[in-house]
Amino acid sequence: MELLWQNGQVVVQNQRLHNNNNTKKSSSSPTKLLQPPIPPSMDNNQQQQQPSTDQNLFIQEDEMTSWLHYPLRDDDFCSDLLFSAATPTPPCATSQVVTAVRPPVPVPSSSNESRPPVRNFMNFSRLRGDFNNGRGESGPKTIVRESTQVSPSATPSSAAASESVLTRRTDGTDSSAGLNRKGKAVAMTAPAIEITGTSSSVVSKSEIEPEKTNGDERKRKEREATTDETECRSEETKQARGSTTSTKRSRAAEVHNLSERKRRDRINERMKALQELIPRCNKSDKASMLDEAIEYMKSLQLQIQMMSMGCGMMPMMYPGMQQYMPHMAMGMGMNQPLPPPSFMPFPNMLAAQRPLPTQTQMGGSTPQYPVHASDPSRVFVPNQQYDPTSGQPQYPGYMDPYQQFRGLHPTQPPQFQNQATSYPSSSRVSSSKESEDQGNQTTG
Amino acid sequence: MSNRRSRQSSSASRISDDQMIDLVSKLRQFLPEIHERRRSDKVSASKVLQETCNYIRKLHREVDNLSDRLSQLLDSVDEDSPEAVVIRSLLM
Repeated sequence: MELLWQNGQVVVQNQRLHNNNNTKKSSSSPTKLLQPPIPPSMDNNQQQQQPSTDQNLFIQEDEMTSWLHYPLRDDDFCSDLLFSAATPTPPCATSQVVTAVRPPVPVPSSSNESRPPVRNFMNFSRLRGDFNNGRGESGPKTIVRESTQVSPSATPSSAAASESVLTRRTDGTDSSAGLNRKGKAVAMTAPAIEITGTSSSVVSKSEIEPEKTNGDERKRKEREATTDETECRSEETKQARGSTTSTKRSRAAEVHNLSERKRRDRINERMKALQELIPRCNKSDKASMLDEAIEYMKSLQLQIQMMSMGCGMMPMMYPGMQQYMPHMAMGMGMNQPLPPPSFMPFPNMLAAQRPLPTQTQMGGSTPQYPVHASDPSRVFVPNQQYDPTSGQPQYPGYMDPYQQFRGLHPTQPPQFQNQATSYPSSSRVSSSKESEDQGNQTTG
Repeated sequence: MSNRRSRQSSSASRISDDQMIDLVSKLRQFLPEIHERRRSDKVSASKVLQETCNYIRKLHREVDNLSDRLSQLLDSVDEDSPEAVVIRSLLM
């Protein structure tokens, strides 16, 4: 038994319509489909009320039961639809089985496409989840696609009927997309692609339920859905891909933005840590802070080298070696500007005790010195301290090169300007040693 | 150039190309592991910064160790000249 809407009346017919969805729909759908849209609300409601009983019968049909049961659950959602629709039209009494929301929904939805569709679709998504066991998200999308697809391409009969439904769907989807862009819209699009015909059919059916009021409309929608199913399946896939592509891009953009944000946050976090490590860093600018960090690292390396050499020299500080120590240290230090501090020069110093003078001079004459000296001096000391005339490498290293760079010990360097060199702290030792050495060399 | 960089990188969320070049040069200087491991373009700023922080901490530890050693040597050595050296070397 089926209820058919013929000539503005509900006619009970066999299930042939359901069986011959395509054929019957094409033939009977025009009348049915066309009619509902014409009368806005009252007619539909009235008509819906009349066949309520019939609808009940109709509802008992197998095809209806599936979504009939769901509508009961949909009441929660449909209620939202009602409120969102902003059309407080009382649900038709006919919707005894079907949620009362349906009658007013289609009417206001057509008028207020913005709000009701949004909620509708959100509800639909939930409904879809119920209906399709998780494919709910895809539901609205498929629905939208179906609507969009069906309306332009579907047969006029189906298109007419589906348009009314589709418009709501599209509106809902659009609004829902606007509301739930990232999450649901994207999620919906993704599964939507994978939706099969069955899901779409179910979706369409489910959609139809809340929108349509009574069995008549449901019947039409079912038929439409069935027809739409066949039509929409192919169309869905097409449009799914098309809309999916755009949605994919937006999704990718969103993902990219999120990842970019995370990257930025990570970088800022590291910058803060670096700033904490650098002493007396009052720069808020990233670039200047990085420059300071670079200089600080260089100064630290030099400092460590000096200290390590000093540690190594200490036990070697024999009276006879004192004069040679600074030279060797300076030579070694200059020869090994950046490697990690180690006592590699130690054996060299021991072995090279005799050729110290030559070594120092060689070190002094080594072209490396000016190169290396220039860097630290440029970094740490504004005054060039290299004195090639004396043949002794003016070791610009400092035990506290960073402080020197900071200009905290400006007075120290000039104190030992015997060789026109200026060193802070430890450099004094070397300078003093150098002076002694120079004295020795000049004399000896 | 620094002004341009500062203007561009005034906001904390901006890293100009110059800054990236600075980072890469720093890495090459101090972190041989990153130096030739991958192209400079691929080196992420966060990784560079992290390595820099680690390296600075390592240098700090080294300085502390050396300071301790120098102080110990200073105590052990009574001579004036080496002592002066150590004292000055300890000046940090």
